[in-house]
Amino acid sequence: MLKTQRSLAWVAVTVAVASTGVAVWAQLQDLGNTAGGRSPVIGLRLALYAVGAVGVIFVAFAYFRLAGQVTSIARQLASATSGASHEVTLEGTDELSMAVNACVADRETTLRQYCGELDELRLQVRLAERQKRHTEAIIYSLRDAVVVIDDQDRLVVANEPAARLFGFGTVEACGGPVAQVCGDKHRDFVEFLHQSAQSGVEGTRREMEFVLADQPHVFDTIVSCVYEGQKVSGVVAVLHDITREKEVSQMKNDFVSHVSHELKTPLASITAYSEMLVDGEAGDEATRKEFYEIIQNQAQRLNRLIEDILNISRIESGLIKVSKEPVSLAILIEQQMSMIQKYAEEKNITVSRQTPIIFDQVHADKDMLSQVIVNLLSNAIKYTPSGGAVRIATEVDEAAGRVKVSVTDTGVGIPEEELGHLFGKFYRVAANNKHAKGTGLGLNLVKQIVEKVHNGHVFVTSKVGVGSTFGFELPLAATEMATA
Amino acid sequence: MTGNKVLIADDEIHIIHVVAIKLRNNGYDVISANNGAEAYDIACAEHPDIIVTDFQMPLMTGIELIEKLRAGEATRNIPVILLTARSFAISQEQQAALNVSACLSKPFSPKELLKSIQDILYQRELAVTN
Repeated sequence: MLKTQRSLAWVAVTVAVASTGVAVWAQLQDLGNTAGGRSPVIGLRLALYAVGAVGVIFVAFAYFRLAGQVTSIARQLASATSGASHEVTLEGTDELSMAVNACVADRETTLRQYCGELDELRLQVRLAERQKRHTEAIIYSLRDAVVVIDDQDRLVVANEPAARLFGFGTVEACGGPVAQVCGDKHRDFVEFLHQSAQSGVEGTRREMEFVLADQPHVFDTIVSCVYEGQKVSGVVAVLHDITREKEVSQMKNDFVSHVSHELKTPLASITAYSEMLVDGEAGDEATRKEFYEIIQNQAQRLNRLIEDILNISRIESGLIKVSKEPVSLAILIEQQMSMIQKYAEEKNITVSRQTPIIFDQVHADKDMLSQVIVNLLSNAIKYTPSGGAVRIATEVDEAAGRVKVSVTDTGVGIPEEELGHLFGKFYRVAANNKHAKGTGLGLNLVKQIVEKVHNGHVFVTSKVGVGSTFGFELPLAATEMATA
Repeated sequence: MTGNKVLIADDEIHIIHVVAIKLRNNGYDVISANNGAEAYDIACAEHPDIIVTDFQMPLMTGIELIEKLRAGEATRNIPVILLTARSFAISQEQQAALNVSACLSKPFSPKELLKSIQDILYQRELAVTN
């Protein structure tokens, strides 16, 4: 349609120019003829003027129509740009209108596609941001240290445990080179990250030592590669502190080792003496009787050991049955003293007591408290040389509502550096091993019974060559009842 | 093979007692020590033909005793049997390095101990004869 319009305009212009030209030529001829006679083409001249005028009018019409359409497009575009309207349409069925409308429709379709894609991208960005926040929340809430670096060895993410471990600030360190952020003393860790990134292996694992709060700690360090296609784009390191686990594992191994040793020692005697009896190597009745008594004693020793281990285990796990009742410490001490009197006499040791008659009632499990007193008394006798003395005393602090029981001996004493370990399981003072045998469980059982079952506390003071005082403090029965 | 002198080192008096009876019943001379340090002094003074020692003892452990024996000119070649209640206390390599002749786990059989002593002393006598 536009082509037709243009052609018509060209025709109109050509006709107007041609007719004007002919009219001008005729005018010039007329001037010539006027000089020599009358013009023969005056009619033609008038006709050509008319045609020229029509052509000019047509051109003017075409111009104004075209200008009107351009103005309409400009106005609609301005309106679309300002957001007032989204449509650009030319009314009419001419070639220009149809071309413009088709072009606009095509652009609108493309624009709608772009808008759809933009919305999709915005949604993906929002989801990615949410995912990132979730991931960061998980990382920041972990108690394990987490370090993430990119393929340029820059720190991307690190949580608080990692910051504490490596000594950097989580915010300011991010974006910095990991070697610089972690420092020289963690060169091994940085090297491990590099090696893992180069190897591209998923989940490389290594136990690494770090110093945390001036204490050596062992961390189970797992490094995983992050891939973008085939390329490693970064690594994630998770460091789990296994120091305590290793200590517990070592304690378990030590415990099993100690227990097996302690159980096997009396068992070795029982086995050997039994075999001798069976093989008839105990020649006379007296020897056989001696062997039977040794077997019996060793069996009892084995039983005591197993009972001690089980009691400690039951107390530690809270499974032991405790029957508390008002107990007179004075009576309990008297009973236990009579029990160990024979042992004291065999070693020529004097055992005395200093206990008040009243104000010594405690709310306790009688059997367990008896065990505590007998353990302390027998230990004192065991490590006191012949001719020495053992004294048991109680002191009541009415104001504090507590009673203190102490067993003092004139024994070999204990080096100061050993005092802190004495109530530990299987702990024995090496220097005193030659004086007496023991399992290292007696004092641990005392501690468990006093502190875990009766809310008291144990204590010890000692001087090598002078003697030791072991004891415990318990709340008086009246106090415990009042606070219960 | 009687008349050989055996040193028993153990802090368990009942073990010393039963081993001593078993060995004396089979013609051995028996001397004893209650710890590693005492055993070393007796070994230097008495030159026993063989030593039976416990692994865990006060003052000086069985391993420390053997190390000290191996370092001394006069005690270097005394065969040693180690008794232990800790099965994994000493590795095969450690036994070989310390030239431990045999290692018996507690609880042990006095008959087995006697047989070990007899075998070791017999091998030693063969080596000396050859």
